[in-house]
Amino acid sequence: MITPLYAQSLLREGAVMAAVAVALIGLPWFLTAIGGYSELATPIVLWGIFALGFDILIGFTGLLSFGHAAFWGLGSYAAGLMLLRVTDGFIPAVLVGTLVGAVASLLLGYLTLRRRGIYFSILTLAFAEMFYYAALSPLQQWTGGDNGLTGIPPADLCGIAMKGEAIYYVIAVTAFIGIYVARRIMRSPYGLILRAIKSNETRVASTGIDTRRYKLMAFVISGVYAGLAGSLSAVYQTYVPTDALHWTTSGQVVMMAVIGGVGTLFGPMIGAGIVLYLANVLSGVTAQWLLIQGLIFMGFVIFLPGGVVDAGRRLALLLSRRPAPTDKRAAGTVSVHPAQAE
Amino acid sequence: MNLANLSLQLLTGLQIGAIYVMIALGLTLIFGTLGVVNFAHGALFMIGAYLGYAISEATGHWVAFIVVPVLLFVIGIAIERVLIRFFYNRPAVDQILVTFGLALVLQELMRWIFGGTNLPYGTPDWAIVPVDIGIGYYPPWRLVIVGVTIAVVGALYLFLRFTRFGLVVRAGMRDPEMLGYLGIDVPKRFTFVFGLGALLAGIAGVIGGPITGVTPDIGMAVLVPSFLVVVIGGMGSLPGAVLSGLLLGEAVSLSVLIYPPSTQIIIYLVAAVVLLWRPRGLLGARGVME
Repeated sequence: MITPLYAQSLLREGAVMAAVAVALIGLPWFLTAIGGYSELATPIVLWGIFALGFDILIGFTGLLSFGHAAFWGLGSYAAGLMLLRVTDGFIPAVLVGTLVGAVASLLLGYLTLRRRGIYFSILTLAFAEMFYYAALSPLQQWTGGDNGLTGIPPADLCGIAMKGEAIYYVIAVTAFIGIYVARRIMRSPYGLILRAIKSNETRVASTGIDTRRYKLMAFVISGVYAGLAGSLSAVYQTYVPTDALHWTTSGQVVMMAVIGGVGTLFGPMIGAGIVLYLANVLSGVTAQWLLIQGLIFMGFVIFLPGGVVDAGRRLALLLSRRPAPTDKRAAGTVSVHPAQAE
Repeated sequence: MNLANLSLQLLTGLQIGAIYVMIALGLTLIFGTLGVVNFAHGALFMIGAYLGYAISEATGHWVAFIVVPVLLFVIGIAIERVLIRFFYNRPAVDQILVTFGLALVLQELMRWIFGGTNLPYGTPDWAIVPVDIGIGYYPPWRLVIVGVTIAVVGALYLFLRFTRFGLVVRAGMRDPEMLGYLGIDVPKRFTFVFGLGALLAGIAGVIGGPITGVTPDIGMAVLVPSFLVVVIGGMGSLPGAVLSGLLLGEAVSLSVLIYPPSTQIIIYLVAAVVLLWRPRGLLGARGVME
């Protein structure tokens, strides 16, 4: 039975997803218009998928992982090795890469979720570094050591070589599905429990819910997104740098999520766009881009922990309050994602 | 393998562990009293190494050994006053994020000033030629590191055990709230403790720099094992930090004898085993940060 409320929420969801589709299709043109170049859209959407999955962990459960480079990197290496040694098929390579990310996150999650809070951040950082060092030296003949995994052939999807514009649209479709799934998770009873864990874990546990299993599941879901994004990046770059496993990759996704706005799903994706766009524009002007990025990041943590999305929300609130009280709903749509404004 | 070889290897393990211990002591001291996990602690070590290089180039090593820890103490106090202080009442995640951001900024700042290449920070002339220590020839500088660490650990023990200030710090590690009720100016002590932690990182940097190398990335590279040292020892436990630092140092150095490529990952394996077997850490107290 379709109740009016249900119909309304269907309509709203449809509108949001349509807006997402338009944004994904329009991104290459938009980037050209603001002084970037259209090829930048591919890494932005790739990192957007990564950051989106990361937000399912930190935004919902409040767990701050510094080890997501492990899943991105292992996914990259697995997909790269598939293409290099087994098959040039796009789908098997990405599936294996995603699966490797999932398994790795299950193992790492089992180990690191034994402790809460601060421990979790430290341990994820440390154990992710283990994979980096393992790839550098003991597993050298598989990973190519310092040189990374080079010479990956272009993948093939239904006879189309995955490069240039074709791969952008494949990645955009993946991102679209990823966003839809993430929003479904967020609205499900399961997502509700995750968010309850963030606000008061002890209370959730005292209602008889095994919080550790929920946290592990959230960790694995975000690991799947990271593995997926990592495998897509191996296909896109036809190269896996050792940096894929380095802590800087984890740090990058943390910064994107915080700058964009943790817990909003779209925020971290916007953060990915901002960071990569600025990196692209500013690294042409100055060699100190990383220093500037660090300062921007610190600025957000100190003054605006809610990120760009929160800033937009506050601005919208300010605008709706200031001029005339007539135009409340119109001002609400200035906010980056109307559906989240509740 | 003969006994002399093994003991030399054990000595090297002691030296590797010594650097971990000094960084981990500062980390756990800051964490235990302030409740803040300092992701910028490795960056303080790195600054110590850079300053050690710059000052010893200009004036010689002895001046650097004295001046660098003092400078780091001042830098630590400045960081606490300007930044960390405003994060005591914010969520733990924010504390981690801001110190992580600080670590990145300090790292890139050093890259900007000194460039990304490894700087030739050498040991003093008298410490270059290996000396005979009965079981074989050994680089004296490594002995200096072990000796300095023993002295630092001893001094820290005496300071915390027998001074009034040490008593307050230890009480603060147990229950900072109660300490405030007793009429002690807790924020002032916090500033000092953060400075003290930075000073320890400075000592580690100025004597460890010639061994670890002086690059912007060295901060994070020493921070990660030191975190494991703190976790394995038990969060907030100073004896635990010393014990697990030595354990990890020996694990690294003995793995060279067994299977050299494993040296980089052995500490993680040891850490995984300890965590599965005893999630609280070796000497971790029940109820601390659980």
